[in-house]
This record gives sequence, C-alpha cells and structure tokens, in this order.
Amino acid sequence: MRKPTILTAVLLFLVVSSGLAQGLEDQPGYLPLEKLDLFPRDKLSVEVNLEGAILRMVAEATRGDDPEFASVMAGLKAIYVRVFPLSGADAGAVKTKIDRAVRMLEDRGWHSTVKVREGGEETYIYLKEADGKIAGLTLLSLEPGDEAVAINIVGRIDPAQLGRLGRHFDIPQLEKVPAHGKKPE
Amino acid sequence: MMNRSDHDLSCEEALGILEPYLDGELPAAEATRLRGHLERCAACAAELELAGKIQRELRSLPQLDCPPEVLERVRGSGRGEVVPFPSRRFRTGIRIAAAAAALALAVGGGALFLHIQQASDRPSPEEVAQATRQARLALAYVGKVTRRAGLDVRDDVLVKRLVAPATESVSRSLDGRRSEKEF
Repeated sequence: MRKPTILTAVLLFLVVSSGLAQGLEDQPGYLPLEKLDLFPRDKLSVEVNLEGAILRMVAEATRGDDPEFASVMAGLKAIYVRVFPLSGADAGAVKTKIDRAVRMLEDRGWHSTVKVREGGEETYIYLKEADGKIAGLTLLSLEPGDEAVAINIVGRIDPAQLGRLGRHFDIPQLEKVPAHGKKPE
Repeated sequence: MMNRSDHDLSCEEALGILEPYLDGELPAAEATRLRGHLERCAACAAELELAGKIQRELRSLPQLDCPPEVLERVRGSGRGEVVPFPSRRFRTGIRIAAAAAALALAVGGGALFLHIQQASDRPSPEEVAQATRQARLALAYVGKVTRRAGLDVRDDVLVKRLVAPATESVSRSLDGRRSEKEF
C-alpha cells in the first residue's frame, strides 16, 4: 500500500504542476525555431526570446506612451527572432535550410501569405489560423551578403499592424539590445 | 478443551510473534501454528515478507562499532521494557495519515512550487525595459523585411495582402519594381 500511495502522490504532483504550467508548445502559432536548425546559435547577431508574463509587463509598461505598441504586445504570447549575418557565410546552405523550413511549415498547416523571390533574395510570410483567427506568424527572409532572418510571433496578431508598427522602429537605434538577448528570467 | 496447537492464531497474535519467528527464536509448535496462519492470511504473510526484507537489508549494512561511551549511556538509560509490535489498527491509522500527508504534500508542494517559480520569474523593471527594446527590435525586423520585400507600399496593401488572404497562398512579389513569380 505504501508504494502505490507514494506513486499516486508523485503522479498527482506532476499532473498538478504540468496542468497549471502549460507550455507554449501547445499554442497553434508556436514554431520551434531551434528544431528547424536554421542557423548556428553561436553565430547569431540577434536572438530574441520573449514569452508569457514579460510580454504582458511590456504591454503594461508602454500603455501610457505607446498605446498601439502596448495593445499589440498585450495580445502576444511569444516573440522569437533569429538574425544570422551572411557576410562570409554559405548563403546556399542557409537557403537549403530555409526551403526545408518552408516545406515543414506547409506540412504543419501554416498558410503561405507572401512568397517573394528576387535576385537571390527570398521572403516568406506564413500565418497560422486557429478558430478563425490568426494565432501565429512566421517570417523567413534571406538576403545574400546581408543577413537571414527567422521570426515567430505567437498570439493574437494583426499582421498589418505589426508591419506598420515595425516600420516606425529603427533597427540601429535598437541595436543597443544585447546581440544575444536571452529570455529574461 | 481445545489443544493449544489447534487454536487458530489471530492476526494480532501472529504479528506479535513474527519477529522471534524470523530470528528463529520461536518454539517449534508456535512456529507451526504461525505458518498455518500465514498460509491462510495473505496480509500477515505480506507483513512477514516485508519484515524479512527489512531484516535482510539491515543485516546487509556494514557493521560499525558503537563507541563505548554511547553503549554505556544506552545501558544506563535502559529500563528493560519490551515494546510490543503496534496493533494492525494503529498501523493502518498511521498509513492513512501518511497517505493523507503525502497527498497534501503533493498538492500543496505543486502549488507552492508554481507560486515560487512564478514569483522568481517576475521580471525587474530593467528586464521589462530590455524586453521592450527587444520586442521593438523584433517588430523592426518585421518592418524591415516586409519593406525590403516590397510590402510597405501602402498600409492598405499590407491589409489586403496579409490579412485578407490569410488562408490563401500568394506567391508573387507585391512590389511593382520586381517581377512576379510563382513557385
């Protein structure tokens, strides 16, 4: 009787813990960028991993001076960015990986919204729907000689609003962010 | 009058002589009666098995010499009382209490674990400020890539191309300067 009791207690503990701490992996718009193995992590020029509570706090912190940005943040569950500089890198190898990622996205039910190929540059924007709403955005971009970018944004998304907001932000100005911004913990 | 050897042992009596039985100190007649009881009582047989296992494991432990001063203190405080095995009812109560405590610990521990984890995850103002910059950087890259792909002609184009056809595949460049391609 003793062993089953302990076993039951341990199982209950795990169920309680895992049930309350449900992972982002269950979100329909989530894409495991690490599993795509697009870029070597130690060569990234920008890595952003923002999840859960920190995004809500960003929304609260910016509500006063940037309400549109705050409203976008309030709807998001995660933001992941990987930027890989291509100067001196094998762009062909990266292209192969991006092509593979595109196939994987389509296999997983992501809807291709934009595909642009021009002069070696490639841009893909995919959206994931859930219950009739956009629940995730994945952007893959390759610009030989410059950089390759992979972005996954999870949550309630208005892509037009994202693009409009994004054009207001200046990357050089924001480069003060550490190159390998880790998930705040 | 019933012969003592014919008298069935109660579970309480059986449990009371398990230890001397394991130690080989029980008289043969008592041992026979106990074995008879154990054949009919699975619960007591399980107790015997458990007690035997504990005894074997205890005996497998390395033998250490007790310091003489400790021995002397034990002898000095000993009262020569024989402590009997606790009754089954008492042990059942202990087990129920232990089970309740384990379950309470599991539920309470799980909740406490999550509470502590959430509290420790609470970001500082500096972390929020850094996260804000990172979030803006992420959006800046969205803006940069869409601009580079010619998607920033007008907001209404973005709406048309990114929101309206969310379920469709649009495979062409949106920039008039670029050629349209299907793939």
